[in-house]
Amino acid sequence: MAVKRKSEFRKIMKKYWKNGTAVLGTCLLVFFIIVAVFAPQIAGVNEMGNNYQIPRVSWSSKPIAPTSEHPFGVIGGRDIFYGVVWGTRTAFRLGLIITGFSALIGVAIGSISAYFGGWVDEILMRIVDIFLSIPFLVAAMVMTTILGKGLDKVIIALIIFGWMSTARLIRGNILQAREEQYVLAAKALGQKDWKIIMKHILPNTIFPVVVQMSMRIGSYVITAAGLSFLGVGAEPGYADWGTILSYSRNWMTMLNESWFAIVFPGTAMVLFVLAWNLVGDALRDIFDPRMRS
Amino acid sequence: MDSKNALLQVKDLRTYFHTEDGIVKAVDGVTFDVYSGETLGIVGESGCGKSVTSLSVMRLLDEKGEIAGGKIIFEGRDVMAIPESQMMKIRGNDMAMIFQEPMTALNPVFTVGFQIMEAILLHQDVNKEQARTMAIDMLRKVGIPEPEKRVDEYPHELSGGMRQRAMIAMALSCNPKLLFADEPTTALDVTIQAQILELMKSLQEQYGMALVMITHDLGVIAEMAQRVVVMYAGKVVEYAEVLTLFKKPRHPYTWGLMNAIPKLDEDKEVLYNIPGVVPDPLDFPDGCRFNTRCPLATDKCRKEEPPLVEVEENHTSACWYVDKLVEMIKVSRAGEGA
Repeated sequence: MAVKRKSEFRKIMKKYWKNGTAVLGTCLLVFFIIVAVFAPQIAGVNEMGNNYQIPRVSWSSKPIAPTSEHPFGVIGGRDIFYGVVWGTRTAFRLGLIITGFSALIGVAIGSISAYFGGWVDEILMRIVDIFLSIPFLVAAMVMTTILGKGLDKVIIALIIFGWMSTARLIRGNILQAREEQYVLAAKALGQKDWKIIMKHILPNTIFPVVVQMSMRIGSYVITAAGLSFLGVGAEPGYADWGTILSYSRNWMTMLNESWFAIVFPGTAMVLFVLAWNLVGDALRDIFDPRMRS
Repeated sequence: MDSKNALLQVKDLRTYFHTEDGIVKAVDGVTFDVYSGETLGIVGESGCGKSVTSLSVMRLLDEKGEIAGGKIIFEGRDVMAIPESQMMKIRGNDMAMIFQEPMTALNPVFTVGFQIMEAILLHQDVNKEQARTMAIDMLRKVGIPEPEKRVDEYPHELSGGMRQRAMIAMALSCNPKLLFADEPTTALDVTIQAQILELMKSLQEQYGMALVMITHDLGVIAEMAQRVVVMYAGKVVEYAEVLTLFKKPRHPYTWGLMNAIPKLDEDKEVLYNIPGVVPDPLDFPDGCRFNTRCPLATDKCRKEEPPLVEVEENHTSACWYVDKLVEMIKVSRAGEGA
């Protein structure tokens, strides 16, 4: 039996590795993980204190082009290489925490809504509508302004305004799955209600959420960077890709002197988003047996 | 037959659905018995309440449906009085059901083996290894080739006929005493249909279970059933042994259904069909519910509902004009003979 299972798993993995985009996504992700884990070895540590503060290397605000000492250059007196490398950790933290918590809230609210139906459903879905009616970025900006500066505040703001689409997705999926004949068939076999939910309804509804989550990890990093760029995100000097970008804001008219402050963190961001999207696609193929053939 | 020995007795069953538009009387006074080892056919057009009858007996109605009256007695126990926790043990173990659409009745994210094992583990005191062996055995019994390999395949990897076989394996895995088959062959090719029916027949003999065959296909009834309930608009209109029914139909609806079957030796441009459609369950006509489509309908039929009465031994029909029908059938059959 174990042998059989293993061969099934191997079959999937074989297919996975044959899929070029999936391999590319995984490689990128592994690369980012390595960078995040070995950040102290790659970029060193901040001897002045907090490692997540990019150390000052110059007191002049003028950008300094890449040199062997500062391979990605310097902007606002901060070493961009250090910021990009340590920013990888920030990106993972942002993406995983925001997505994890907003998915948790979304799944809880969506399942409650679908399971109980009636007025509970009505109230919860109207709340979702209210939250959705506020433009996401504006809402997040207002929240961070109220809560104050700092990365943890950004995380809270994005969780508060990030759970609705998951709630809707899971609610719709559960409502659909509940009507499926295999649910009736399971009941006809004498299966218990909660087991039907756990075994038959959730597995058929949770995969789209997992796929959606992995794709959103990337997009949350972009949003958080956007907030930092607008000055309502992380504190100045924090090792965060958006923060580095925000330094380049004052030099936008002189791109020939400051391009490196945009290109390096920007590339990191694009590749990060790409990695999660490709992995999301691959996850869908793995999770859904219908996609395997 | 003495109805006291019946495995299942359904007496004057009424199942109503409460919808926004009003009360739908999907099943409205249905009575029949099922005996161990026999096959009872329930036949009628779509929307006659055939499936609702079986769902009512298994107490699987959704929250809108309600058993509004009547009695269901299974092995001498009143099904309606059994607590839900007990009912779960009965479902799958004593009563099981197979469905029309084998694609949607199997969960797409699990292997067929997993799903059969689930049924076995639920009702039998065995471990996973044993359950797996039993599942493979079951797949072999229903005629799936290479069961050791198929057991690890997903529903989408099997053909329609295979899926229905897997469904049957699942339903029979706990050796139920009573099996409801709700249009089990409707979604399949004709050749596969014949195979599945053959399979069900031989499994029935092997296990000695009672089978309730729900279908709109009189051909399936002729093949499988010993006794037949003909349903129309939530009511039983005729109830007879299968040979009697085909030889001597005593309700215009049954006669109409029989006429709608094309015959091999006839060359017709247009097949006969019963004019009209099944009436809206929210708005059944007064009197006999078949009066809107019946060639024999009179004012009496439009006012008074005919009771289900015995026309001969073990043969009941609900029609005011059985005599006229007999006359009509005689004329029609004489015409065919000429």
